[in-house]
Amino acid sequence: MSEILLEVEGLDKRFGGLHAVKNVNMTIARGEIVGILGPNGAGKTTMFNLLTNFIAPDAGKVVFNGQSLRGVKPHKIVTLGVARTFQLCRPFVGLSVLENVLVGSLGPRVHHPDLGERAMQLLSQVGLAAKADTPAELLSYGDLRRLEIARALAAEPELLMLDEPFAGLGSSEIEAISALIRQLHAEKNLTILLIEHKLREFMQLVSRVIALDFGEVIAEGLPAEIVSNPRVIEAYIGKQDPVAVVS
Amino acid sequence: MSGFKQLDKLSGAAGATALLLLAAAPLVFPGTYLIGVLTVAAIYGIWAVSWDFMSGLTGRENFGHSLFIGVGAYAAGFLNVQMELGPWWSLPVSMLLAMGFAVLLGFPTLRLKGPYFALAMLSAAVIMQRLMLIFWEHTGGEEGIQDIAPLIRNHLHYYWFVLALLGVITFLLGWLARSRWGLILRAIRGDEATCLAAGIPITTYKIVSLVISAAFAGLGGALYAHYQLQVSPQLFAVVTSVTIITMVYVGGMGTIFGPVGGALLLTLLTEGLRNVGEWRLMVYSVLLILIIFFLPDGVIAPLWRRLRVAVGGKP
Repeated sequence: MSEILLEVEGLDKRFGGLHAVKNVNMTIARGEIVGILGPNGAGKTTMFNLLTNFIAPDAGKVVFNGQSLRGVKPHKIVTLGVARTFQLCRPFVGLSVLENVLVGSLGPRVHHPDLGERAMQLLSQVGLAAKADTPAELLSYGDLRRLEIARALAAEPELLMLDEPFAGLGSSEIEAISALIRQLHAEKNLTILLIEHKLREFMQLVSRVIALDFGEVIAEGLPAEIVSNPRVIEAYIGKQDPVAVVS
Repeated sequence: MSGFKQLDKLSGAAGATALLLLAAAPLVFPGTYLIGVLTVAAIYGIWAVSWDFMSGLTGRENFGHSLFIGVGAYAAGFLNVQMELGPWWSLPVSMLLAMGFAVLLGFPTLRLKGPYFALAMLSAAVIMQRLMLIFWEHTGGEEGIQDIAPLIRNHLHYYWFVLALLGVITFLLGWLARSRWGLILRAIRGDEATCLAAGIPITTYKIVSLVISAAFAGLGGALYAHYQLQVSPQLFAVVTSVTIITMVYVGGMGTIFGPVGGALLLTLLTEGLRNVGEWRLMVYSVLLILIIFFLPDGVIAPLWRRLRVAVGGKP
């Protein structure tokens, strides 16, 4: 078993009467690509917000790289090496594409003599170099995703958390983003945690899946095991032939 | 490449030329009237550029800038008249006092979302104005503090002093705005949650920026007190803040140089509007509304950009 990067124990959150996340346990090893799967409202984004302390959990323990994240402010978590993207792209409106990436590297974690040069490299990596001077708000949805990923990478994370990287994209863009994530994983040995409910691309991308429903982990395992897991299928479409889910 | 914005030579040269022309104006058209108008214009320039640094860059509109101005001006009055200190003490003390107020107000108010920061600052300025009346035994009430000594007796020399300070402050804030610091402030205007995701402690940046903004507003207040040789609670009035905000909008919000131009233009315009007297606030408010609707980027900064491109400068 390789080194554990993220360990979550008994994570729990209620919003009034809604039990959004119930006693979630999981571990992520360094270098893994893990996917959190679940239908809308299953608590995936809440999980992300809890892990990055954008929302404080009611109970539970999150340990990253041997350090407890309890009470650590969201911007400090980035400094420790966890960077995230948002489900709805949130670029810095009024800033150019290059400046957007540059801001990602202005935290205390990044030490580089030429941040502008580095931001340009990241833009080439995600395929946005030609649009460096474009105002971010003029980008297409697919390009905004790339920009979000480049901005997160600028913080030099050890763990990259992607909140629905395929949401709102067409199939060719999904393939391109998928390839980008794979390439990042291969080149930088980056550990990646992603949330998704678009099944096919997701299953091809990740090495391990954690399935959530109503805030609870209902299954965990290899993609092939998850797609044939009766509880997962039930959560998604009721009881039906598993082949329908992946096709 | 650094990725940060550079000051283009053309803009720098234009700024320096404008400053020299302003300095030379009273020599070409002598008379204390013009010197007085230009001194007030330069002080408004300091107020506008200090407002723009915090509120223009972060998009958090401060409707209580007059509070820092009043604090600086009253500090000058107290030190000079009540405590009988030399007038030059006013400059550092007014800055420090205004910075203190910015820390006290910034901590609770800059965590507020939406329009609440603007409202909280507006209320704070109104409260300060009331306090000046309630504690009239110490503050002089409606009358304020009279017989403040001038910093420099010669009006022309004082004008040049104020103008030089305006130049230095504008250059300094312009440099900060193009630095890593300014980029972060503009990112805060873009999206606060993304800033957090990028590892940026946004509250710290907002508070420190408000403190810097307040320091120069307070300094401008002291300069104003030593020009008028008296202070009154009117300095805290909302109309002062609205006037400054209008100047910034006319100049181009978040452009640092633009608001200085806006302040100069509108102060001179106000002299032209002297006979409308009481209607000034209305004229300003209508102007502000029209500009927000039809020219959201202001007048001066976009005009300069076009001019610069026309003569072959970078866009």
